[in-house]
Formats: sequence, structure tokens, C-alpha cells
Amino acid sequence: MTAPTAAPGGLLLAAAVEAAGETASWIGPLLVLGSRVARYSRRAGERQLVIVVSVPVRDYAAALIGCGWVLASEAPVLKEPLETLRGMQPGQFLRAVNSQDIITGTFDSLNEVVQPPQVQFAGSRWKVDAIRAIAPLPGIGGYERAPRPVPGSIERMARLDVDWDRRLARPAADLAIVGTLTRLKEDLEASLTRANDCAPPSVIQSILMPKSSRSATWFTRVYASASLADSLPIARDVVGVILDGNSAVKYLTEIEAPVVVCVLDRSVADETAAEMVVQLRNTRGELVRLESELGWRPPVGVEALGFTVPL
Amino acid sequence: MTRVTSLNQRYAACAALVKAGIQIFAVGDPAGARFSAVVRRLVALDREDGGSYLDDLVGASKALNWRRITQPQPLEFNLGLREAVDEVTMQSARLRGAIADQELLDDLAAAAALLASNTSPLSSELLSAIEEVGARSCIVIAASKQAAAGLDSWLRQHKVPVVTAGELEGGHLQREQAYVVGPPRIYRHSLVTAPVTAEVSFLLPAWFRDRKVPRSPIAAYAEWAIQVEARVFTLGDTAEPVPDLADAEDEGRYLPQPVWGTRRSEEREPTAEEVNARKLLLSSNLAMWLDDGERIRSLDPRRARGERVTTTEVAAVREGTYLLLREGVTERAVLYQAALARLGPRAEAMTAAQTAWKRVLGQHLQRLGNRQVVKALRAVGISAADQARAWTDPSLIRPQSDQDFDRLLQWLDIPSQPTFGYATTLRTTLYEVSAEIGKQLEAAVADADLSELETVGHLGLAVDADGFRGILATRVLAISPFSEIVSRHEARVPFEDRGGMWLE
Repeated sequence: MTAPTAAPGGLLLAAAVEAAGETASWIGPLLVLGSRVARYSRRAGERQLVIVVSVPVRDYAAALIGCGWVLASEAPVLKEPLETLRGMQPGQFLRAVNSQDIITGTFDSLNEVVQPPQVQFAGSRWKVDAIRAIAPLPGIGGYERAPRPVPGSIERMARLDVDWDRRLARPAADLAIVGTLTRLKEDLEASLTRANDCAPPSVIQSILMPKSSRSATWFTRVYASASLADSLPIARDVVGVILDGNSAVKYLTEIEAPVVVCVLDRSVADETAAEMVVQLRNTRGELVRLESELGWRPPVGVEALGFTVPL
Repeated sequence: MTRVTSLNQRYAACAALVKAGIQIFAVGDPAGARFSAVVRRLVALDREDGGSYLDDLVGASKALNWRRITQPQPLEFNLGLREAVDEVTMQSARLRGAIADQELLDDLAAAAALLASNTSPLSSELLSAIEEVGARSCIVIAASKQAAAGLDSWLRQHKVPVVTAGELEGGHLQREQAYVVGPPRIYRHSLVTAPVTAEVSFLLPAWFRDRKVPRSPIAAYAEWAIQVEARVFTLGDTAEPVPDLADAEDEGRYLPQPVWGTRRSEEREPTAEEVNARKLLLSSNLAMWLDDGERIRSLDPRRARGERVTTTEVAAVREGTYLLLREGVTERAVLYQAALARLGPRAEAMTAAQTAWKRVLGQHLQRLGNRQVVKALRAVGISAADQARAWTDPSLIRPQSDQDFDRLLQWLDIPSQPTFGYATTLRTTLYEVSAEIGKQLEAAVADADLSELETVGHLGLAVDADGFRGILATRVLAISPFSEIVSRHEARVPFEDRGGMWLE
């Protein structure tokens, strides 16, 4: 897996797909931070890594860090669709990807008498050779169908397009973002692209693929900081949590995921969150040097500190 | 301008300030220096004596010091300074004969009188700085709403906008240079760590010696902390001797800064009966504990008629926000009473049903303890089980979710009807009352003189609804930098507190 190695200035961010992209020195480094912590999470030990960045204004920071995380996620290892289907029992919940759609539903039967073989799932009959990737899913779930997204400029930059269908069928889905939903929504509408790239721009929404009640596939869970208390503890399969803004950062000590990135907004007068972070670092933290241990250096205008605490 | 463009400018301004630093213009102010020297003597005496009889004189003197720093406009535009001078004169006359050091009182009155006849030299320096870059390129930042109103009365003719640091955040003014009136330490760090303009200059009287530039709370621990350097330029007549500032001395003690002390609560989670709340000092000698919960009713005088009464997210409440409050009660309790009144004869049966299920819940809580109850409620699928204790509060009518409420009644062994229906009607009525009160408040605001609100800081509103007579729009003067654990019943109930009296 190739993590993004964006040179500063090489990426363009636009508030909406139709708007012209603008380059800035902070876009690349924030994206790279997400990738670096994602990689770190794979060799993390018993302690929780906490990265704190303070930005002039919170806009886009968490979304970009989140994108970096998703772009650095490892592709799942999946067997060929036919092989997977042969091993399935009726009633098995699954997700399949063909050239048009992503479908979830329950497996019914496989018919190898016909050529090409056909499979009955989610209430319909499908040709197995048209299925690009298929993954059994745990538990039970309903039928959902969504158009298969096309990898954009940034997904291509991170070479996600190479195993795109497998990623859609079984995404790592190990990231959560906690923040103010209305603001995050605006961030998700932004688009990101490489300068002079002929591939279409990537919408942040489609890189992060937030989970909604009826999504056919998703990469990221999004929680409202206002009601996070009701959702705790965060699902155990979440590896990285981004706390976006001061009201989300207040939950830091309640998060048990191996990696937490806190985004502090300096334009907000409330210092409670920042002071809480400093206190945690001083009482229980062990320093992590971002440049030497994480290989990351913040852009101008961003303060950063890293430490680990016992989980 | 798109969000990305304005964000880009913000990062660029930050980078520019890190590179070039800020400028501090320390302007000689002999009359101010003389007064502040006497205030030092007064504060020293106050500390030695320890009594409270000097409080008002000390408060009035610090307030005058503050106005000399934050409102340097010419005397003809400076009603605030003259009022503060009168207050000091009056308070020192009142103490005549009561303290041994009569000379101190004489000196204080004489030095105050001198301020009333000498415009601060800062005003002419500020004006020439503005003329140098051009009024269209700059903005003046004031330390408070009151200071902004005072400065604006003068600078309006020069066509320079005057805003507070909080207003700067919300505005979309395109300016290159900010002139900040007062020393950096009286401002929040964002003015220099998350600047809106690429150039920032502070103007302060030379007798104020503390010129430290504030940093973000994480700066001391961060790799690549944002460090903004200051270049100090001394201007004008600085012949008046100024005492050296000892390293350990906090010059803030000569200013009317709110006194917060240190956090009293231990490091723990609040129980179900408690909340984490920050103390707000409010205009008109009130204070309030504000917890991080539902939005709070507020007033925004800058908005169009008909849209001024609104609710504000707790995180967005800042110094300068106007809250709509009534002393001694929460809005929720008032609305509850008003809803009952509206329901007339039906209210009795509803209150009885409400009391009944809340009592049973209370008994369970007492018998099993909060933890067990929450666990049991969660086990029967009640998603907001954590709020069990809060539901015993009469004014919190019922669980938000129908399913939770239904399951709760089942668990309490209470038939769903009529209790469920009563509570729901009561809640709907409460929403109606709340919306109507909002309209009435809006009408009262439309009739009120909001310029008075801006200058005085608070304003009584004529609202003709039960429980809302005597409602007050009041400005948030200061917000505690830390939160405390307080009882749920104390939160959002305004109470008398003179902590903010000399703040403006």
C-alpha cells in the first residue's frame, strides 16, 4: 500500500465540487498526518497514541486527517468471488460489488450447473463473473444498494484504484470522527484533487464514506459531539478516532481506541479542552516525538504534540 | 469568498505573524502613570489591611485604570472615563477620616482629576497610525463592548470600524492591519495565534509594563509551538517615573480582572445529580453556572428586527453575548409553570400523574442507587438510561424518545395510559409556550432601546407573560477559564454576584 506523499502545494481543495480548487501549504501535511497515524496504529503497543494539533480554525482539518487515514488503510485480502460463494451457507449476510453497484443482502444459493455460474442473493439472481468482489459480513442486515463510486484523483494518487472493488466490499472501516455535524457536513462537501490531474476531483465525502443508516458500504463512523455521551463506548473495531473541535476533545479520556487525534480550534475562546489535554499529557503521558517517531512535521500555523497514555 | 479562501487567509495571516511578529506601541501618558502609581499604593494598602472596607475604592480605581487603557479617545467622547473619575472621587471622599493615610486619598483624587482633564496621548498616536495605513485597510480592536462603543463614538468620523475580539471572529471584514487598544495580556491568545489580519499592533500606555504576548495553552508542550515575537516602540513623553515590574508581580492586579481563583472540584466525573459548568459573570451584578447542555436563550442586537431573540449553543457563548435571564430561576422552570397555567383544570390530573411516576422512579433510585437503576434501564433497552436521575426533576417532563418513555413506564410498573398521554400533552404545551414567549420577547426587544443595551450592558424587557416579567437581557462579561462540578439544580440559575461589578 502506498501512502500519500503529497508535496505541499500539490493538492487543491475546493469548498464544493463545482468551485475552483485552491492550493495551500497546510492541506498536504494534514492529509499526511492521517496516513502517518494510521501506519503507526499497526505497530502500536499497549498504549494509546494521542496526537493534538491546534489549528487557527477547525475547518477541514479533521476531514483531511481522516482522508489521510482512509488512504493509508490496507486493502483487504479477499478470495475470488466464486470461491467465496462456494463456502457460504444460506442466510449469510454479504456485500457484493459489480461494475455498477454495491449491494448488501443475504446469500440464498449458488448454481454452478449453468455457465457462467449464477448466484441468488439479496432477492435477485446475479452472474458470478460480473461480480468484482464479494465479502461475507458478520451478523445480519438488510438489502441496500448504492451506485459504485468511481475512484477520483486522490484515491488514484494513493493507488486505491488498484484494489478498489475489494476495498468497497470490505473496507477497513476503522475510523471514527466526532464533531459538530453541521460543520462536518460542510467539510465533507469539499473536493480535493491533485494539481494538473486529469482524473476527476475526489469529494471528501466519497473518500471518507461516512456511515449512515442506509449505506451499502462505509469507511468512517461519524458521531455528533453533542450526543456522544449516549453512544459511548465507541465500537471496538474503531482503531482511530478524530475529535474535531473543542467540544469533542472534551471526551478524550473516554475514548479507548488505540489512536486519537484531537483538533483544537484556536479561534474559539473556550480553553477547557486544551487544558484538559495538557493535564493528561502531564499526569499520564509519555512523550512521542512527532518528527522522529512519526515522521511528521506540522505546517506553519499548526501546533502539534504527541504522547501515549496507558489504555 | 469561499470557506477555503478565508481559511487560507487565516493560515497565511498566522504564518505572517509568526514570521514578522507583532508591534507594540508603548505611548507615554504622564497623567495615567501618575494615577496608576497611586493605585499601586492603594492596592498595597488594601493587601496589608485585608479588610473589605477599601473594596469599592479599589474597584473604582482599577476600573478607572482600565478605562484609561481601553478607552483612550478624547475626553469629549469619553463619558465612561469621566464617570469612572467621578466614582473614584466619590469613593475617596466617602473614606475620608476612615483610613490613616489621608495623603493617599488626596493623591488618588488629585490624580483622578488630572485624568479627567487630560486626553490620553494614545488617541493621537492611534489616529496617526490609522492615517498612515489608511482607514480602509485597518480595523480597531477594543477590549470590551463598552470600550468598543466608546472608541466607535470617536472613530466613526474617521470611518474606521471598531470591534471586540469576539466580533472579529464572526465578521467578514477584509483588513490587513489590526490596531488593538490595550496590552496583549488582556486579550485572548487567538488575536495573535489565529489572527484575522496579517499585521497586528497593540497600543498601550507606557506605564503598563507587562507586554508579554499570550500563547495557546498547548504551546509550552508543543513541537513547533506558535511563538509570536513583539517589537516594542516607545513613543511620546515617558518622563514620569514608572516602578519596575518585578518578575513575579502580576500587573493584572491593578486591573479589574475577574477573580476566578483555582479550580475547586476534584478530578472526577460529575454524578447524575451534578453537571460540569463554567461560571459566567454577567452585567447587572449577576453570575450563572452554565453547563454544556441544551442551547440557551439569547439576544443578538446586530440581527434584523424580528430575528434578534434566538438560542445559542453553549460552546458559542462568549464574552459579549447577551443572554435572556431572570434572577433565581431557570427558563425551563418558568416555562413549566406557564405550561401548567395554560392547561387550566386539566393540569391537576397531569401533575398528579407526573408526580406519581417520578416518585416511583425516585424510590427505585434511592433503594438501588443510580448505577443499578441505569444498568437495569439499559437492560430493558432504554437508550437515554443515563438520565434516570434527571427525569425525577419535575421540569424535565419526560424522556425525549417515545420508546424510552414507554419502556420506562413499563419498568416502573405503571400503565402506559394515561401517564404517557398526559406527559406528551404537557410537553407539547411547553413547546407552544416557549415559542410564544419567544415571540413576545421578540416584540419586547423590538420596542426596546438596544443602544442602551450596548452601552450599559443590560436591559429589562417588558414582557407580559407569567413568570417572564422582569426578564433581563444581560451581557456576558467574563467566562471562567475552567469548569467546576455543580449541582444540576444550581446550573443556569442566575444569582447575585458582584464579581463583575467593576469589570466594565
